[in-house]
Amino acid sequence: MKLTTVEGMQSEIFVPVTPVPVFTELKKPLSECKVAFITAGGIHKKSQTPFNTSGDYSYRTIEFDTPSSELMVTHGGFDNSDINKDVNAMFPIDRLHELVAEGFIGSLPKETYTFMGGGGNVEKFKEETGPEIARKLKAQGVDIVLCTGGCGTCHRSATIVTRCCEAAGMSCCVIAALPPIARQQGAPRITAPHVPIGSNAGEPNNIPMQTAIVKESLEWVRDCPGYNQIKVLPYEYRHNV
Amino acid sequence: MSITKETLEQHLKDPAIFCCRRQKGLVISAADLEDPSLFDDMEEAGLLKLSDDGLKIEQVIGSTLVCDVEALTPITKDMVDKVNEVTEIASKEADKGEEGSAPAEGKTDAPAGPIPQVKAVQGGNGMIHIEIGKAEKLEHLSMDIPVFSGPGAAAPVCTGGETAGAADSSAVPDEEKAGEKKVIRTLIKKHIRITDAEIGTETSIKDGKITIDKNIIEKALKEDPLCKKIELDVIKPDNRHIYTETIMDICPIATKVEGELGSGVTKVADGVVFMLTGVDEDGVQIHEFGSSEGYLDEKMYFGHPGCADENDIIIRCNVVIEKKTGMTRPGPFAAHKCQDYIIQAVRDELKKYDGEVVREEVCEDVRRPGNPRVVLVKEIMGQGAMHDNVICPTEPCGILGGQKNVDCGNVPIILTPNQVRDGSIHALTCIGPATKEMTRHYIREPLVEGLAADSEMDLVGVVFVGSPQVNDEKMWVSERLGSLLESLDIDGCIITTEGFGNNHIDFIQHIGQAGKRGIPVVGVSFCAYQGQLVVGNKYADAMIEENMDKGGFENNVAGCSCVTKEVAARAIQMLKNKMAGVEIKPAPKKWDNEVVNNNNRLLGLPDTELLDSGTMH
Repeated sequence: MKLTTVEGMQSEIFVPVTPVPVFTELKKPLSECKVAFITAGGIHKKSQTPFNTSGDYSYRTIEFDTPSSELMVTHGGFDNSDINKDVNAMFPIDRLHELVAEGFIGSLPKETYTFMGGGGNVEKFKEETGPEIARKLKAQGVDIVLCTGGCGTCHRSATIVTRCCEAAGMSCCVIAALPPIARQQGAPRITAPHVPIGSNAGEPNNIPMQTAIVKESLEWVRDCPGYNQIKVLPYEYRHNV
Repeated sequence: MSITKETLEQHLKDPAIFCCRRQKGLVISAADLEDPSLFDDMEEAGLLKLSDDGLKIEQVIGSTLVCDVEALTPITKDMVDKVNEVTEIASKEADKGEEGSAPAEGKTDAPAGPIPQVKAVQGGNGMIHIEIGKAEKLEHLSMDIPVFSGPGAAAPVCTGGETAGAADSSAVPDEEKAGEKKVIRTLIKKHIRITDAEIGTETSIKDGKITIDKNIIEKALKEDPLCKKIELDVIKPDNRHIYTETIMDICPIATKVEGELGSGVTKVADGVVFMLTGVDEDGVQIHEFGSSEGYLDEKMYFGHPGCADENDIIIRCNVVIEKKTGMTRPGPFAAHKCQDYIIQAVRDELKKYDGEVVREEVCEDVRRPGNPRVVLVKEIMGQGAMHDNVICPTEPCGILGGQKNVDCGNVPIILTPNQVRDGSIHALTCIGPATKEMTRHYIREPLVEGLAADSEMDLVGVVFVGSPQVNDEKMWVSERLGSLLESLDIDGCIITTEGFGNNHIDFIQHIGQAGKRGIPVVGVSFCAYQGQLVVGNKYADAMIEENMDKGGFENNVAGCSCVTKEVAARAIQMLKNKMAGVEIKPAPKKWDNEVVNNNNRLLGLPDTELLDSGTMH
């Protein structure tokens, strides 16, 4: 059987490009660093306006002294039940306070910024939201920025904002549940625990796992030899939805 | 990143560039070189500047560096002790190809005609021999790709353009004429005319009118305690400007009257569908990536495969589920289950109803031995909450008796085209309104219809594969799909996905699984602006865009950007081109609907008109 062919057709979808490397070497011991944590996972204060789940390039300001019980998630890209149980599964704010108390890191900035990266508008995040968050963090003297994605396009938005922070002179790491996206989109450093999207920073209420993921991501910020390198973290959590 | 020996062999004529800094005295091997398929992107990103006097890979392999060379710098002849004689390597490569293809019966020399001169001939040894005499970027490439030929599949699979004569009929096995249609089983879908519907005091179908007993709501609520409230009403075609909560699903009313799913006789109510809508007790829409609440006439793309048609009567089932359960697995499922209880009551009436048959649709599971063997792979969601699907329920588009693909581990499951067309998939409908495939979509999937009807191909089956939540699981599922595709001995496949984002990881991985086995593959997805691919690989070079939103966004119009007839036609044609070796031009670097329309025009299809929804997230 002969196949009918038509000359001149063109592929309709382009495959993404590898962006320019961006890398800021960490020059201080972790114990002296001011560490910020941002997330694309749709975390906000219960008192704040929820994100638009179909795409939203605005961000929310979260003071680091906000109790984790005041935080919630608005995100349509994954099963929310883990974060509903424990917001630290996406935004490990309690773990960060513990690490300061322990002396593992120096301090936390007064406030940080969260957004909902699902379906994120690439240009808006690259040109507006990312640079603005980076500027505000830098102005608070932040040395290190850790970031979680949420869903697939969240990882894209997370990586874009993280790259802005790196370019502004902070050393950053994306904690990725979907490392291929963070890699392709050009995250400066990547750690990859074996976790489902929705619990990117570890199993809900599993404090040792969450602590280990944050600590080893910080160590990767210190030890990562160069741009876009991945460290797979030996923590596994399966979410039985 | 260094490259493998296989990559090296594919790129002998490409520029030789070191992946990292290399020192004087090094003998150059594959491990030292950067992958040439990345050069375009690297140039674009300003990482790399190719130079005219740079040497090709085949010229430097085995040479010794006489100085230190930085990463991503073209290797020039002053940097190495010797430059390999090119023609020698090239001809050696060609010889290797010749040997492998041994008794390739249908093979002829490439004519000196217009470019590209591509021949693809299946030889008796189960290899497709591809010879490119001259093409835009390649010359004298000759290779053999295994086609996993089994008995009866040794016919010439494809020929392209000028070289159609290469399909020598002597290769056709005696016992069957290539492409002859063999019917395995038949399904008759009887479309029964429905002209009216109301919520009343009994459940019945009389004289084309469906009546649903309003008291059924109480019983339906008992199906699941998470479902707190149900309202039923009827929306007629002349009254579409009516407020609705987010559209969770559109479900046909269909029922088996003879045989099992995919065979026998099914009755389908014509001119009426169920529409499931809902909120939780706090008034939060039951949706994931964007919701479609608003005026119905503005929130549904009437006529698209997953949607209601313009003249359909819509029976709306509006549910309220327990608060905070909307984004978990049990909540939305409760809504679907309770609605299904009500639909089942109507199905039971439809079984008995002897009304006017508007249309008798004869669906055949056919094989056309000797034609190129193809499968359709549909990636469906498998991540919980609404990201789930019920597979093979007892009744068409039903729930009972089916298995959820999340519970099946998202592994690839193969269905016959008839099973799909008989409502084997009940969608719990994930993602955004515009890109989700609702239950009605599957019972009339344009790609299934198009491939099944295509007399030039042999549609082997339809593979459903779930998209899991965890990256490792995505890879695991994709590898299982790869083995399945290999063992199905296929000559080509089309892979689709609903939604966008994380599922594009597995989508691209699936394309890679087919591609690396030499199986021509076409990918179909919504990408456009908002859904632009987050990952990619070199096999994703024949892609069809589903977007119909003006800004390229996931908008809030249910069923807007999905597999339509036109999308299916382009995908099928692109697959034929790829199988026949007809060049598919690479996509431009940015989404451009003009590319879609140029393809439409080549195929005589109407332009893809974009909907101005005003969406600009």
